[in-house]
Amino acid sequence: MPTSRRDFLKTSVLASSLLFVPKFLHALDAQGVQQLRNSNGKRLVVVQLGGGNDGLNMVVPFRNDLYYKARPTLGLKEQSGLLTLDKDLAFNPHMTQLKGLYDQGLVGVLNSVGYPNPDRSHFRSMDIWQSGSASDQYVTTGWLGRYLDSNCPGCQMPYNGLEVDDTLSLAMKGELRKGLALKNPEKFHQVTQNRFIKQVSGEKAGGSGSELDYLYKTLAETASSADYLYQTSKVYKSAITYPNTDFGKNLKTTAELINSGIESRVFYVSLTGFDTHVRQQEQQGKLLGDLSGGLGAFVEDLQKSGQLNDTLILVFSEFGRRVTQNASNGTDHGTANNVLLLGGGLRQKGILNDAPDLLNLDQGDLKYQLDFRSVYATVLRDWLGADDRAILGSEFSRLPGLV
Amino acid sequence: MTNQQQLQHLYWRAGFGPRPQDIAANPNPRKALRQLLHDSAAVQPLAGPRIEAAEMQAMTPAPMPDLRQDPQAPALKKGELTPEQRKAQNRQIREAFYTMNTGWLERMASSPAQLREKLTFFWHGHFACRVRRPDAALQLNNTIRRLALGKFGDLLLAVSKEPAMLQFLNNQQNRKQHPNENFAREVMELFTIGRGHYSEQDVKEAARAFTGWSYDAQGQFVFRERQHDAGSKTFLGRTGNFGGEDVLRIILEQPQTAEFIATKLYRFFVNDTPNPAHIQPLAQAFFRSGYDISDLVERLFTADWFYDAANVGTRIKSPIELLAGIKRTLGVELQDQKPLIVFQKALGQTLFEPPNVAGWAGGRSWIDSSTLLFRLQLPAVLLKNAEISIALKEDENDLDPQQTRADRTFRQQVQAKAKLAPLGVLLAKTPEAQQPTVLSQFLLQAPIRPENLRLVAQVAQQAPADGRLRTMVTSLLSLPEYQLM
Repeated sequence: MPTSRRDFLKTSVLASSLLFVPKFLHALDAQGVQQLRNSNGKRLVVVQLGGGNDGLNMVVPFRNDLYYKARPTLGLKEQSGLLTLDKDLAFNPHMTQLKGLYDQGLVGVLNSVGYPNPDRSHFRSMDIWQSGSASDQYVTTGWLGRYLDSNCPGCQMPYNGLEVDDTLSLAMKGELRKGLALKNPEKFHQVTQNRFIKQVSGEKAGGSGSELDYLYKTLAETASSADYLYQTSKVYKSAITYPNTDFGKNLKTTAELINSGIESRVFYVSLTGFDTHVRQQEQQGKLLGDLSGGLGAFVEDLQKSGQLNDTLILVFSEFGRRVTQNASNGTDHGTANNVLLLGGGLRQKGILNDAPDLLNLDQGDLKYQLDFRSVYATVLRDWLGADDRAILGSEFSRLPGLV
Repeated sequence: MTNQQQLQHLYWRAGFGPRPQDIAANPNPRKALRQLLHDSAAVQPLAGPRIEAAEMQAMTPAPMPDLRQDPQAPALKKGELTPEQRKAQNRQIREAFYTMNTGWLERMASSPAQLREKLTFFWHGHFACRVRRPDAALQLNNTIRRLALGKFGDLLLAVSKEPAMLQFLNNQQNRKQHPNENFAREVMELFTIGRGHYSEQDVKEAARAFTGWSYDAQGQFVFRERQHDAGSKTFLGRTGNFGGEDVLRIILEQPQTAEFIATKLYRFFVNDTPNPAHIQPLAQAFFRSGYDISDLVERLFTADWFYDAANVGTRIKSPIELLAGIKRTLGVELQDQKPLIVFQKALGQTLFEPPNVAGWAGGRSWIDSSTLLFRLQLPAVLLKNAEISIALKEDENDLDPQQTRADRTFRQQVQAKAKLAPLGVLLAKTPEAQQPTVLSQFLLQAPIRPENLRLVAQVAQQAPADGRLRTMVTSLLSLPEYQLM
């Protein structure tokens, strides 16, 4: 073949994105494109706050005496710059951009989201949130992976579910289909251009369905996805200034992929470091500043390109912290927590349910008033148009009219 | 199938892969199996990071109540430590686990007791347990190693009395007044008979029987009589004043337990897809033998179907099998052991850190775009000092979730040495043109694709003469075929 696939792609960068599809995937993609037409065009961006973010100091119940009683030095006072919302709640002073989005009607705040018999171990609770299981179930696939499995329109290729990171989370692993993790399209592409890998990845999988075929199929899809992502992502370079943090960079990559027209239904990004046992205010404040600044730029980016109405952002953490502060001016592992929803497609905005009940605790921890799987069910069915029951394994009541 | 292919299959399944000298000796597989059983007869406990553990205890005011009351906490309640103490403690815990992890991996690669280590690894995934106390984790590991080839009943009882397991499954919270069913449930669902063979009522009754099973600050099992529910229970159709031992005994009286364990062993040692025609007779013999594990694996490794083409080169290596296998086959030694931990985490399997009590899912779940690319790059990293850069996730650093991304990023050349001389001996009489073929037959369990053989030969031709062997080996190990065993 005189002109390589790569040359072909390079010269046609400004053409419609359909042309960027590597040749040998054309057959697959003709079908894929039809299915994309059938899809509703909506996408989900999940933001994972790792380490157990303290919801009570993110969405602060600043008119509740019990809050200050439990947190004599850690409690955030109104005069410290709290950003007042509704229902006697306020954002942490570091969340200025998120407050701006809130005022624009782009944010929904859910309080006390959790699950029965909460597990206070980081890895186990994250496992539960990512798999979407009950606390006494062990599920080896993720809720978004099972969404990819569910024959959703436009879910045939690994890049239809993208995680901006070096490794792939359980959340994005299905039984039959798995998402794709990449830090940035260029770096990912570079790895597949290694001479040996490039050569081998060009080989076709056999049709026997053996483990070896599975390996070759995964490799071929990885390489063609890397090509597609690398070439297509050049279409749009963001002009928005993002915070110069890892999280900011990852959101910028996400926005560039979305605005370039990458047909991914699901994106996954993480911000870590929320395990604030000591000197919490400083550490959490910095992280919430990163979160707010990053999401502020991200939303602005999508707003400008007109993609925000089709984008829903879901922010969660594996658990909240204990209500009472500890002796090191920090908090220990707790239970129920806030979930934030952002996007132009939100039909209900503001504080969406009751503030946390600080009087009625379970051994010092918040009782959950909303199962996280209800949030998932709502997103899956009402936003992505998927079969939430099949994906989550049981029926969870959805939040009516939310998205 | 040639004798060599059969031998390699046996060494991959009953151990962590063949070494060139194992193949050069060319015994018949039955003789090789006898040798494996013989070499695995003695029990050599894995040495622990005693110094670190002792230091950790010295930092802890006696007694240590947290081990009983707060299973998730480290040796000290986090709030009671200064930030510096906390950091130091986290570092010591992490270092202790690193030492245990790489010590075990090294043993997988070099111990003559291959079968015992392989079974210890199997039971490590079966009795999956993840605790923050390195001493407790090591004690459980050595208990499993000691009983790995004995009677399953002895192993089950011993594991059920291990502080690490009792802690992990919350049995210290299982008291007469407030039963906690977690331990009883997992013992049945995951360790013995499997779902569908007991009722919710059986779980409740078994939990009552396990009340009072606990441990002391020295890490010894203790039966706390005052917390035990001594009343009458009805479990799996039997009624009596049962204790925990009785429950385990009754579980073992169910043939379903033998079938459950035999199936799991079959899936690990033979084929991910269970074949009932193979498993039924195995399970029956297992039951008749009083759950003799040695007897079961001997039957399995001598069955004619064990060497069927459908079972050779058709199982995706777990990350540990991949790493230990490269180390064993090529005698790879790393100057610094830490990268081995990074590789495990990046590939999705870290010793002593199973994802949950159900263990690692295995099979195709090991492979996604990033893990597959990482697997294909790994041989060049180990054999050609190729550079690799990868940032691990926070949840893969559970022991110290405060690490910054820079701290979680691995970006360096690995200083590693491989012993390629024994391979050279294996190839001594092979003309150069035939060497890629002969080498592929030794290194790959799945038949190599013709286009890949051409590719390897081509790459070898371009390499300088003194680097040809290394280049061929690296290329063969970088193939999808090498991911299979």
